Amino acid sequence: MARQTDVLSESRSNEFSLRALINKAGIGLALLALIIFFSVFTEHFLNANNITNILTQITINLILAVGMTFVILIGGIDLSVGSVMAFAAVVAGKAITLPGFGTTEVILLACLAAITAGFVCGLLNGVISSYWALPSFIITLGMLNIARGAALQVSEAQTIYSFPFAFEEFGSAMIYGIPVVFLVALVLVLLAWFILNRTVFGRLLYGIGNNEEAVRLAGHPVFWYKVAAFTICGLTAGIAAIVYMARLNISSPIAGIGFELNAIAAVIIGGTSLSGGRGSVIGTLIGAFIIGVLANGLILIGLSDFMRQMITGVVIIIAVVLDHYRAKFAAK
Amino acid sequence: MKFMKIAAAAATSIALLAGSAQAEDKPVVGLIMKSLANEFFQNMLEGAKEHEKKRGDYELRAVGMQNETDFESQINAVENFITQGVDAIVIAPADSRAMVRPLKRAMEAGIVVINFDVSLDAEAKKQQGVELAFVGPDNRGGAKLAGDALGELLGAGSKVVIIEGNPGADNANERRLGFEASVEDYKLDLVDSRTAHWETEEANTVFSNILTAHPDIQGVMAANDSMAIGVVKALESAGRKDITVVGFDNIPAVGPMIKDGRMLATVDQFGQDMAANSIDLALDVIAGGPQLEGWVKTPIELVTNK
Repeated sequence: MARQTDVLSESRSNEFSLRALINKAGIGLALLALIIFFSVFTEHFLNANNITNILTQITINLILAVGMTFVILIGGIDLSVGSVMAFAAVVAGKAITLPGFGTTEVILLACLAAITAGFVCGLLNGVISSYWALPSFIITLGMLNIARGAALQVSEAQTIYSFPFAFEEFGSAMIYGIPVVFLVALVLVLLAWFILNRTVFGRLLYGIGNNEEAVRLAGHPVFWYKVAAFTICGLTAGIAAIVYMARLNISSPIAGIGFELNAIAAVIIGGTSLSGGRGSVIGTLIGAFIIGVLANGLILIGLSDFMRQMITGVVIIIAVVLDHYRAKFAAK
Repeated sequence: MKFMKIAAAAATSIALLAGSAQAEDKPVVGLIMKSLANEFFQNMLEGAKEHEKKRGDYELRAVGMQNETDFESQINAVENFITQGVDAIVIAPADSRAMVRPLKRAMEAGIVVINFDVSLDAEAKKQQGVELAFVGPDNRGGAKLAGDALGELLGAGSKVVIIEGNPGADNANERRLGFEASVEDYKLDLVDSRTAHWETEEANTVFSNILTAHPDIQGVMAANDSMAIGVVKALESAGRKDITVVGFDNIPAVGPMIKDGRMLATVDQFGQDMAANSIDLALDVIAGGPQLEGWVKTPIELVTNK
């Protein structure tokens, strides 16, 4: 009990301390350094169009990473999000191309279908891994295969196309040069921030990541909290599917291969600890930006594909090593 | 009684697995494809199944892989077919070198082997002392057809980019070489060439970034249609109507794009018929026809809105 209150008050007070500010700014500074580097060494990096591009390009990863943050905070992992996204997209693609309905109806139906598909997959991940206290690594690896197989089965391995025009419009709509789909992701970030920092549920997720037993002994329904974290992650995969469809105007059953790894990278680069209990969704936002800016800038510089892949890997490792020292520094 | 029935059923299915080639008179053809998650091979499988029904004089056993590079399970499939004693193996190899040795064993077991879709490596074949014909499309020639259509439209000096398939994959390599041949012939200016791993979303991202770096490009050659779709979407969101796109594969989703001019051309290699045609060739050899030699080219066709 004492330990648990400790955990809660500690993380809450941290939030306003100077140290926490430096802690958070650390990763922000890395992003700033990248932005300055690319602005100096490439001609087009700071163009309005290029910034719009970057925002569009990081949207799907950001949405997946927001859900992933919840799961990693409780000390879990979700390897299935890329496949679940594809499954949700295919189910929604089937719904949106149903004949004999109005445009608004099929779009709503498709959104509902994608979100339901994501919800169900996330719920299953949560219930199975929490009920039997099994490593989420292996349960979600199973779900990765189930969802991918289901996506291929439902679509018969064919790309689904010909979506209503209004749906395309949403995918490419802008407000003051900011893609609407990115704003959707940003709203999700803010919502997640509120849940994680301003609700008892959110604070207890940190608690579970730090000391699950303490939270359990304090009489909280840990099982349901963990299920909720996985379900949120599944939901974001469903939302990512809608964005994917709106942006590309197709549903492909082979979409999202490896997306789970990019989402995990964004969360970890953002300073969330893989062992749970420490981190923030604002960090995840910055982490997604770092990956996106890197992918964009390295192409603008004209680096070869293979060098680009190597540098991305190096940056992930540097970020985590730096984070190790930041955490040590902050703990002093 | 019930137990006996189950036992009998089990025995029958084991017998079936062990090789019904002897039990029935129909020859058995084992078809080994690459990833069935790929639309191209999925359509090919459908085509082969229809073909089996239509001909009715052979038995088809088809296997696919988990993914494009899963050559271990292809090796297992070859070994299983050898054990089952099939009459012919028709295979689209996942790796042009790794598959030579298991296929040699199959030939030594008296099985007719037909290599289609991707050619086995000539050097590896020589090393193993294997003589095997290749039945398949000319990926390089096909890409050159699309590239030439682009070159003809844009003219010398035009700036173009290539969006490549998976690095290391034979068909990706051949298609890139075909595009590069067009670049040379039409004196185009190749400003960048990058992979998007055959995938729409990645092509969309990669191409948007290339377009930022080189806003003055005039043409794009994508090594498959899935990536071409990503490029077309990137052009739409950038509001650019002055850039011409060509693709490869002729998947249904690009039909509307070719029709309304968002894409100039794609290449059809009639994937649906490719496995079926290879099976026909295998059955001819089984029936006592001559062994195949060299490269049996399958048809390719440029698809435009004309």
